[in-house]
Amino acid sequence: MPILEVEHIRKYFDHIEVLKDISFSLEQGQVVSIIGSSGSGKTTLLRCLNFLERPDKGVIRVNGEILFDADNPAARQEAEIRKKRLHFGLVFQSFNLFPQYTALQNVMLAKELLAKERPDYKANRKSIHAEIEAQAEQLLRQMGLSDRMSNYPHQLSGGQCQRVAIARALALQPDILCFDEPTSALDPELTGEVLKVMKELAEQNTTMVIVTHEMAFARDVANHVIFMDNGHILEQGEPLEVFEHPKEERTRQFLARFTQG
Amino acid sequence: MEQILEQLPIVLKALNIGFLQTLKLFFVTLIGAFPLGLVIAFGSMSRFKPLSYFTKIIVWIIRGTPLMIQLLIIYYFPGLVLHNPVWGGGETGRFVAASVSFILNYACYFSEIYRGGIQGVPIGQEEAGLVLGMTRGQIFFKITLLQMIKRIVPPMSNEIITLVKDTSLARIIALQEIIWAGQAFMKGSQGISGAIWPLFFTAVYYLICNGILTVLLGQLEKKLDYFK
Amino acid sequence: MKKILALMMTLTLALSLTACGSPKEEKAASGSASEKDSDLAYVKDKGTLVVGITDFEPMDYKDENGEWIGFDADMAKAFAESLGVTAEFVEIDWDNKIMELDGKTIDCVWNGMTLTDEVKSSMSCSNAYCNNAQIVIVPKDKADQYQDKDSLSDLTFAVEAGSAGEEQVKALSLNYTAVKAQADALMEVAAGTSDAAIIDSLMAAAMVGEGTSYDGLTYTIGLNNEEYGVGFRKGSDLTTALNDFFRSSYEDGSMTERAETYGVQAAVIEQ
Repeated sequence: MPILEVEHIRKYFDHIEVLKDISFSLEQGQVVSIIGSSGSGKTTLLRCLNFLERPDKGVIRVNGEILFDADNPAARQEAEIRKKRLHFGLVFQSFNLFPQYTALQNVMLAKELLAKERPDYKANRKSIHAEIEAQAEQLLRQMGLSDRMSNYPHQLSGGQCQRVAIARALALQPDILCFDEPTSALDPELTGEVLKVMKELAEQNTTMVIVTHEMAFARDVANHVIFMDNGHILEQGEPLEVFEHPKEERTRQFLARFTQG
Repeated sequence: MEQILEQLPIVLKALNIGFLQTLKLFFVTLIGAFPLGLVIAFGSMSRFKPLSYFTKIIVWIIRGTPLMIQLLIIYYFPGLVLHNPVWGGGETGRFVAASVSFILNYACYFSEIYRGGIQGVPIGQEEAGLVLGMTRGQIFFKITLLQMIKRIVPPMSNEIITLVKDTSLARIIALQEIIWAGQAFMKGSQGISGAIWPLFFTAVYYLICNGILTVLLGQLEKKLDYFK
Repeated sequence: MKKILALMMTLTLALSLTACGSPKEEKAASGSASEKDSDLAYVKDKGTLVVGITDFEPMDYKDENGEWIGFDADMAKAFAESLGVTAEFVEIDWDNKIMELDGKTIDCVWNGMTLTDEVKSSMSCSNAYCNNAQIVIVPKDKADQYQDKDSLSDLTFAVEAGSAGEEQVKALSLNYTAVKAQADALMEVAAGTSDAAIIDSLMAAAMVGEGTSYDGLTYTIGLNNEEYGVGFRKGSDLTTALNDFFRSSYEDGSMTERAETYGVQAAVIEQ
């Protein structure tokens, strides 16, 4: 069974259709890269998966369970959606770290707030806190940030910030981790450290949806590539297939710009 | 000079009593206007349009008219027009009426500062909180609030210092704050009349008070410097 | 979250409106029938006579203990006692006296108030109880030059805005500056910013000349004779009550006795 099924998603902004009947599915442990020129709807699709935008039509399923159905108003309620969001993690282009918290606190915050909702929280506060802290430290070490845990975001480089943001998203153990152009805001010499971390995650069978302009990364790391154009999925398949033998003219043109540049 | 030294204890005693009233009005205004301003700020940012327009009109009226007129209206209107002198004529009634006027007036100014502070926090902060499964309340209190406070401390400091000086307007409804106390010796009080120096003395009280406030607010600003 | 706050905000507004209105409305409701008919009943009902005053020696001023004393203050206390209520003295801004009275934040103005046409048209006034005159104040060394009305025309005067003194300078078409209080007018002369001032004779007696704070000034001519009275709300029956009280306390000598305490017995008018 696919871990994620997206069926017939449509989204309008002021009567302009920005997502036109999008469908795709994803297996556990797969890495999908979504490529395409700006304005093609990639980011909106990702935001729909994380419920930062609500699709106007369509269904989203995770592990067979319906997370979102545009025709079912009950499923659109804020409280419902909050829980369902936790199936997804999102790493932003501009990191969006919380400036008043250290790297470690950034990673721990959401998990601690969730833990407070547990019935046994009061009784085991100390052990729960210790557990969350240990997990956060482990994640930051995994991101190569052992010596940066108590730094505030403004004391970190862009690449370090983005790695903290990845750790923060992983802390909630989402089923699917989404990346919205994670390296676009970085200086070129800093993109490598972030891509390296993402590659390691892929090797550990993390299910990921990555919107990216890094074609080499998309080709080498992803199991599946989706090419979007003007709100449609124009072409999708195995990376080698899409990159070496694109079926559509628009795909060819788009890829040509990258191989030349 | 000798005469001044003789009169000094009498004058200082009267000024101290007046200054106590000034400080009372100052603190009561802050305690009331801080939360009310936040409520008004949320009102004016509400997605429920009638509420947002209503609050914006209130803010426009209160910020667009002199505090002195508001004091006169709030104190005299109930008795003059509604024939129901809610405040009463005593010192307490005048103080309560002055407090209500000041809280309303300053809450409106504060609300605009809050609004700027809240809207100045990047939308990405809220989105990051949302995708991490936080509630709107958690996002406000754990993420937005402190960033907002950092943004509003400098403009707030200006308003707070202005408030110290504005309290003197309350003497229009005969609230006997420090300037009233100083002026009394010009008009003649306790055997001292035509003395202008007590009024200059009141300036020293304001200066000391604002000096302390400036230092405290500066320290707060420094304290919030740990993040950017 | 925003919706909840929006709701809170609406509630706060609604509450604050009703909170302002409710407790006192009861009072108004219970008192409104009698209060419309009788100011006397209204005052007796609440048990206090709120007297609007300013710091004005020797009529209303504070002693060392902060207690209000003076000829007017003592009379007001006695009057309140005769009604079975307590007198509460409230310092007001003199400019706002009519607003204070009509808005019921005070019940009377009892503060050496000259009975001018303006005062009489805006308040219900008691019988006159004290004589007064508007007199000219000049520096001592120039006093000889200004002993008649004609000599005043080349002077610049300082007078209290809205006072009987202002009426006098207007009537004589003299040059003048309106200031906030009679004491300010004196200060203008002492400072040399005005040549002369016109103030109440009762005040001049207390504040000008040897042994006072303005020993460099003196008074020359009186411009008119006028009288002090007490002001109530228009149509108030307290006025009659006070006139009766004035009469009885003049007859039993207690009024003159109180006047003697403050040195104004010569000015008291027979009731």
